Amino acid sequence: MTSAKITLSQPLVSAAELQRRLLAGQTLLADTPDHLLEVVGVLESYGEVLDAYSINLIYQAERQFLNPFPVFRFFDGDINPAKIWRHLNHDRINFEYAEYCQKAMFWHATGGLDAYLDSSSFLESCKAIIEKKRRNDPLLSLLHPLFPGFLLELIRSAATTHALGQFWRVMSDLFLDLARAQRQGQVSNIEQVVEFIKHGLVAAAANLITYAVEIHGHKLWVLPPEAGLSFLADVAVPYVEAVFLRGMPFLGTVSFNAQAQQISPDQASFTYGALYADPLPTMGAGIPPSLLMQDMYRHLPESLHSWYLQRTRGEADVRVKICTSFQKSMFCVTEAAIRGTLPNSLQTKELSQQQANADYAGAWAGRLAKGRTDCLAAV
Amino acid sequence: MTLTLLLLIPFLGALGLSLWPRTLCEVVARRTAIVLLIIQLLLSLRVIFLFDSTDGGMQLQEGLYWLSSLGLDYRLGIDGLSLPLVLINAVLTLVAAIVSRSISQRPRLYFCLLLVISGAVNGAFLSQNLLLFFLFYELELIPLWLLISVWGGSNRAYAATKFLIFTAVSGMLILGAFLGLAFATGSVDFSLTPVTTLQLSMGGQILLLSALLIGFGIKVPLFPFHTWLPDAHTEASTPVSVLLAGVLLKLGTYGILRFGMGLFPEAWSVLAPGLAIWAAISVLYGSLAAIAQVDMKRMVAYSSVGHMGYVLLAAAAATPVSLLGSVFQMVSHGLISALLFMLVGVVYKATGTRNLDVLRGLLNPERGLPLTGSLMILGVMASAGLPGMAGFISEFLLFRGSIEKFPIATLLSMVGSALTAVYFLLLVNRAFFGRLAVTPVDPNSGPLDIRIPASTLVEQLPSLMLAGSVVFIGLWPTSLASITESATNSMAQLMSTLSIVLPIGVTP
Repeated sequence: MTSAKITLSQPLVSAAELQRRLLAGQTLLADTPDHLLEVVGVLESYGEVLDAYSINLIYQAERQFLNPFPVFRFFDGDINPAKIWRHLNHDRINFEYAEYCQKAMFWHATGGLDAYLDSSSFLESCKAIIEKKRRNDPLLSLLHPLFPGFLLELIRSAATTHALGQFWRVMSDLFLDLARAQRQGQVSNIEQVVEFIKHGLVAAAANLITYAVEIHGHKLWVLPPEAGLSFLADVAVPYVEAVFLRGMPFLGTVSFNAQAQQISPDQASFTYGALYADPLPTMGAGIPPSLLMQDMYRHLPESLHSWYLQRTRGEADVRVKICTSFQKSMFCVTEAAIRGTLPNSLQTKELSQQQANADYAGAWAGRLAKGRTDCLAAV
Repeated sequence: MTLTLLLLIPFLGALGLSLWPRTLCEVVARRTAIVLLIIQLLLSLRVIFLFDSTDGGMQLQEGLYWLSSLGLDYRLGIDGLSLPLVLINAVLTLVAAIVSRSISQRPRLYFCLLLVISGAVNGAFLSQNLLLFFLFYELELIPLWLLISVWGGSNRAYAATKFLIFTAVSGMLILGAFLGLAFATGSVDFSLTPVTTLQLSMGGQILLLSALLIGFGIKVPLFPFHTWLPDAHTEASTPVSVLLAGVLLKLGTYGILRFGMGLFPEAWSVLAPGLAIWAAISVLYGSLAAIAQVDMKRMVAYSSVGHMGYVLLAAAAATPVSLLGSVFQMVSHGLISALLFMLVGVVYKATGTRNLDVLRGLLNPERGLPLTGSLMILGVMASAGLPGMAGFISEFLLFRGSIEKFPIATLLSMVGSALTAVYFLLLVNRAFFGRLAVTPVDPNSGPLDIRIPASTLVEQLPSLMLAGSVVFIGLWPTSLASITESATNSMAQLMSTLSIVLPIGVTP
């Protein structure tokens, strides 16, 4: 294994330039017809995939709750020989990618959701749930006294799973709506794409994130409405932090020597997320994002598919091209999230507010500048 | 007549192509050459059916009196030593013609020269007359010189001239030895017979054998006469490298076995320990030099220096097993080195470089050259002698057959075999593993975009065929052994009989 230098096709964009664009209300991604086709097309396929991911994560959290052997967790309750065959034959959605994202969120543990998972009210809820669940489950009755933290951690994980499922439900609908709006002529450039996503995020920002399980006919809250967990601040922002930015160093064609501190000991400074991913090792064995590219490939709109066929190696390297398009679209989504969470309006005349905006945009620009910004320019 | 046809088809084909009154585009010239070479291959395969594998002597002999007063007669014949080489020539010339694409400059001449080389090589392997052999041996020099100097790389003039000078000296030494033999025996009979040499004193035999060894040693090439080969390979185009490594080097080893050992068995027995050491030095030098290379083609070229040294070791030992191993080595090296040169050619065409400091991760399944990389891994495994492939059979036979006679030289050669794994793993690790990148040599020139054109399956078919042959021989070595064993046994028998009848160092 060699630690390869990532080869970029274009010069990188500086952090100052990214900050300038954010504060000027300009899009990070160059506004071209090709970019519009790529971003809307890939987000449409992403929307289709997120729909399946969301349904499955919610199913797992609700129906496979505290199941120590969730062998059929990817079947959404519909277990039949044909589906099992398709699953084994890999003619299916790669739900493993959804789990990878859930684990990334769970491990990086940022935002209000994670804070709530350590609160006393959550521990109380868990106690009640475990007591109820143990009554008819000898395995759990045995496990819990031996490993008191085990079931607790499983419930925390299930809570993150459900929250991510709810988040992706909103995002799936939003991305499919975006594609519909583009077809209807309501969205015709990158600026309108970013604004469309921003409006969608802002509209859902205050949505409550709740989660309850049913045990022996009783409904028990894991994330009750009283916890006040909201869509944008407590799930969307931690998701962006964990999946877009930090990610996890996974085995691929580039190896990391953690002892030589090639992986930062500071988890907050991780840069292994989607915005930093190298598109080329995509589809190498054992690389989780390659699973997402494969899923999106199966749901590509025809216009984008034929656009890919006319470029580089056509079908042969289509997943690399999907990854690049996905990064472009994720820069748009991130920009929409930044616009939606700016401390003040960009039109403000007050100096202190302008400074607060500049600091906020600067902090984001500093992190984004280390990402695959080579995809932002018009080709 | 079959053997004569093996000469006539390429020669008349070349003549026809060159004299064709109308303009011939590259496609027509290439297709014509391919058709002729397919016929030549089919005829070569027919020889297998006509060949009696139980007979260790010359078969299918044909002849005409030509210039008998000079000792030059047209005499052809084939045995278990030359038949595999004739087949290899037919296969690799066809492969070279198939992979010769985009010959924008004088395509008609290019394919004529390919045909002439193929015919001349057939002639050299089939000749039963020393002067006739020499004529064919010299005949392939000029076409090859032209192929390098006209269609070669940027430094082609230097490489081609160096090749010409070295091989011309080689030819002079061989001719000198043949004429010296005639002069010393007072006979103008240039037919293949060892009996005449027994009339010579041991000193005379050693002198003439030394001239032959150096002459053919240049062609093989053996250290220290090898310096022309890496330059010639580096500047030659891919098809020419395929021919050079796969076929033309075998003229040297064939000459050593047929004329060195065959004509001077007594002197051979005296020189054998020294030859074994020379072989070991050549193997080790070639392998160590290959480790130091950063140009993939030079690395493969130096590996040839090492691997052809095995043949000399086997010939020095001259046991039935080692001689069988030497034929296996000639065939397997021909196939493996041709495969490796073709794959290096694919990499060069796609990336514009063969520099191992520049290439990375070409096995990348989507943007790299995954099939080329896979075949390269197979090729280097075969070259390193992994079981299941042709290289293993030949090296096993060579070492098994030689170790009892020359244990030190054989063990040193085995170290060379291990070094093959070292340099070829370096090649594969650097160029094919890791993250795909074609980093510029000059760090100031900026990063490059990875836009390597894909290599189609059709383009890779010749490589796949060769890879298949390497595995086929590795899994079913009897296919080759059955046609060769009688001949190599006869050669070994001659050597052992002489060592009993004639105590070494005593002239009759």
